[in-house]
Amino acid sequence: MAAAGWLSKDVAIIAVPIVTLLLGLLIGWLGQRSGFCSIGGFRDFFMFRHTRLLYGYLALIVGGFIGYMVFSLITPAAFEGFFWLLKKGLMPVPGAPANLTVTAYIILAVIGGIAVGLIGVLLGGCPLRQVVMTAEGNLRSLCFVIGMCIGAVIFAAWVSGWGVTLLKAAGIA
Amino acid sequence: MIMAETKAKNEEKESGLDVLARSPLYVGLAIGILAALVQVLLISAGGPEAYGFCVACHTRDVVNVAVNDIAGTKLAVAAISQNAILPVMTVIGVLIGAFVSAKYYQEFRTKTGTITSYVWYLMGGLFFMIFALFMGGCPYRIGLRIGYGDVVALIGVIAIIAGVLMGIKMATAMAEREG
Repeated sequence: MAAAGWLSKDVAIIAVPIVTLLLGLLIGWLGQRSGFCSIGGFRDFFMFRHTRLLYGYLALIVGGFIGYMVFSLITPAAFEGFFWLLKKGLMPVPGAPANLTVTAYIILAVIGGIAVGLIGVLLGGCPLRQVVMTAEGNLRSLCFVIGMCIGAVIFAAWVSGWGVTLLKAAGIA
Repeated sequence: MIMAETKAKNEEKESGLDVLARSPLYVGLAIGILAALVQVLLISAGGPEAYGFCVACHTRDVVNVAVNDIAGTKLAVAAISQNAILPVMTVIGVLIGAFVSAKYYQEFRTKTGTITSYVWYLMGGLFFMIFALFMGGCPYRIGLRIGYGDVVALIGVIAIIAGVLMGIKMATAMAEREG
């Protein structure tokens, strides 16, 4: 059964770019005003015990949970997997390379997470912050965003295939 | 005189909504709830779930759909971006929204760097994207996935924290070496 939200499929496929563009405009404005940054939140906490940005990231998790809970009570069909752990167990929400074992997903999450944290701290921000700084006129962040675009193509064209092959060869996928 | 005027102008801008917009706490809550709202609106167009906001994946969708259209390749994108008339435009929205905001509040400043720093940032962005996609999202989607009840995402955040601590160590060591 396909998941069903408030908009029917015919309307939703047209609404996707419009709704997400509006969402982006709002988040861009909020992100510019607040300096919102997830990795910056962890960094500021561990270096200076500043909690301002960290609470922002924690609020995102809480806000997401509240939002999913409230809307799933109104329209359960739009949130088939919620609450994921209870319904689907340890398998992650799809989005990463597909059809692997839980162990493989955990290994990917650990490798990916460490690298993301490391790069984020050394270059001064998570991707949202980099996009916002690009919009504020920072040319180094612009290079970061261009790098992200190139990375997306490289990942889809080669890396994900190699990764799956490697994990399968190692017997953990 | 001019100073006083600027100050008055700034105070005016600090009022009301802007106070909320400048607090990461409220911004985080808003992003989380809006991401859920986007899902309830758009999920019929296709999954995945907990996909309302993600800088890495949504950038991937825009770029890969564009490359697929131009070059006729079949690079992987999320179902929602595959099915819709155009992919998710969140990141383009963020760019425009932040640019308008920076201009409006007179915080737009062109900041340049050295050529070496440009190369570092380019490589950094490239590897950041690859590793974020390993994990199945940037820190934001990971946060949303935790709110959705995904244990692997929780492990991902713990790994991010470990990476941040390593990064702080490296940055401190580099700073000490340079004196």
